[in-house]
Amino acid sequence: MQVGIGIKYCGGCNPHIDRAKLALEIEKLLPPEYSLTTDRSSNPWDIGIMVCGCLTACADKPEIRNLARKWIIVAGNSVDLGNIPEEKMADVIVKKIFARKE
Amino acid sequence: MALKTAEQYEESLRKMKFKVYLMGELVKNPVDNPIIRPSMNSVKMTYALAQDPQHEDLMTAKSHLTGEKINRFCHLHQSTEDLVKKVKMQRLLGQKTASCFQRCVGMDAINAVDSVTFEMDKKLGTKYHERFIKFLKMMQEQDLTVDGAMTDPKGDRALSPSKQADPDLYTHVVEKRKDGIIVRGAKAHQTGAINSHWILVMPTVAMSKEDADYALSFVAPADAEGISYIYGRQSCDTRKLEGGEIDVGNRQFGGHEALMVFDNLFVPWENVLMCGEYEFSGALVERFAGYHRQSYGGCKVGVGDVLIGAAALAADYNGASKASHIKDKLIEMMHLNETLYSCGIACSAEGHKTASGNYLIDLLLANVCKQNVTRLPYEIARLAEDIAGGLMVTMASEKDLRHPEIGKVVEKYFKGIASVPTENRCRVLRLVENITLGTAAVGYRTESMHGAGSPQAQRIMISRQGNLEHKKKLAKEIAGIKD
Repeated sequence: MQVGIGIKYCGGCNPHIDRAKLALEIEKLLPPEYSLTTDRSSNPWDIGIMVCGCLTACADKPEIRNLARKWIIVAGNSVDLGNIPEEKMADVIVKKIFARKE
Repeated sequence: MALKTAEQYEESLRKMKFKVYLMGELVKNPVDNPIIRPSMNSVKMTYALAQDPQHEDLMTAKSHLTGEKINRFCHLHQSTEDLVKKVKMQRLLGQKTASCFQRCVGMDAINAVDSVTFEMDKKLGTKYHERFIKFLKMMQEQDLTVDGAMTDPKGDRALSPSKQADPDLYTHVVEKRKDGIIVRGAKAHQTGAINSHWILVMPTVAMSKEDADYALSFVAPADAEGISYIYGRQSCDTRKLEGGEIDVGNRQFGGHEALMVFDNLFVPWENVLMCGEYEFSGALVERFAGYHRQSYGGCKVGVGDVLIGAAALAADYNGASKASHIKDKLIEMMHLNETLYSCGIACSAEGHKTASGNYLIDLLLANVCKQNVTRLPYEIARLAEDIAGGLMVTMASEKDLRHPEIGKVVEKYFKGIASVPTENRCRVLRLVENITLGTAAVGYRTESMHGAGSPQAQRIMISRQGNLEHKKKLAKEIAGIKD
């Protein structure tokens, strides 16, 4: 069965990380049955990744939180409030996806 | 269709019948004119980014009228969060175009006209707000670009509108008919006018009773019979006619201004939003200017981001990036740029609700924002020129670089560090030139000075809003002065 992981970007006015590259890297690391989607018609997503370019995480609002049951929040060089180097972020996020699917 | 695609926007402009003069000639096809097209590309970007999941959070909003997803440029701010997002969106667009993307004037105009027409109707029993909301619904549904047109030519600045030697130096009503009004006059410096679907005309100054015919606001299709445009020249604009891509500095994007002329323009009553209510003209000017002064805390910052990046690249390509004074100059540029951004964010975060329900920025902080914008981009530009070096204005042309014989000489002697092709160095220096003294300097420098009002206009507002008596009271308390 295909597993859709929702992805919600901030607006990207001052990104400290390459948000599009991060999404591509996550997609590459995920098994084929997983896919990233921005399509909101199948709301709420099981898991959503909020990809914000800086620590402000301006997309993190209640109405956005309603889009998914569980969230992984990327804000600049952090994942769920823990500092992670950009090159390791995709790996950390994929592990979190698997952990939350269990 | 609440969101147009970039392609649909371009096609919609092709259907318009603008009467535009450029360098003494009537332009048959403005969309594909090489001088005009880069400015169209900048507006087009406001449509493209709204379709992009990576930017929609800033570029779109939920209409308070219909609940539909709309372009933020068609939105009435419903919260301070909306005001903050506006500034962030403008920074983003400045980064993506390195130019004036022109669509802000319409957004600022609708937000000012909304609250003022509401208050006018409440006091005078007029029907302007209802008409305005009808127009706004159409604007949102069709994702229109609207030119907010305020600045009159103004003639003799020492004289009021009705005392001018030529009455047309301020836009005014010349006839009121049963079905509408006849308008004559002009609007100067009209940003993005030829890339707009509609215009929203507003009075240019606070008016007195004797100037009632000049207290005028209305909407009209930008290509209506009776409206013509004379396109403004920009420094280095004819480089766009040369066919290359390096010497223009920014091949894809630009901005534009034009003189908009009303020659007995007929406006039906349903499109009239103020006609003689002179006591409300000051509020409309003040609010539009306030919103637009906020805007500059976003758009100029985005262009500044590109200029700082270009200066840093120029230093890299010169082999000078490790010099401490270069590092310090780049730090100073970032400090100045973020200072402007801080002002844009601050006046948004401190905004408040108006009687009509939309949100207005803190007017004092918006004026402080714009006052800084009249100064800091000049210093950022000065530092960029310092870092770039004199070659940015003495460099050979692209045609010389591509020449079969002298191209090798240009390649050899304009080389910086060995690992970077000479062409890349030329490209980045031309970009610095474009923003600091080429076509984009219109937006980054002089528009920073005079756009949304010249520096003195902000100082008057700071004087009015600065709460000086409170400051005196504070000093008296601390000093133990008892009157």
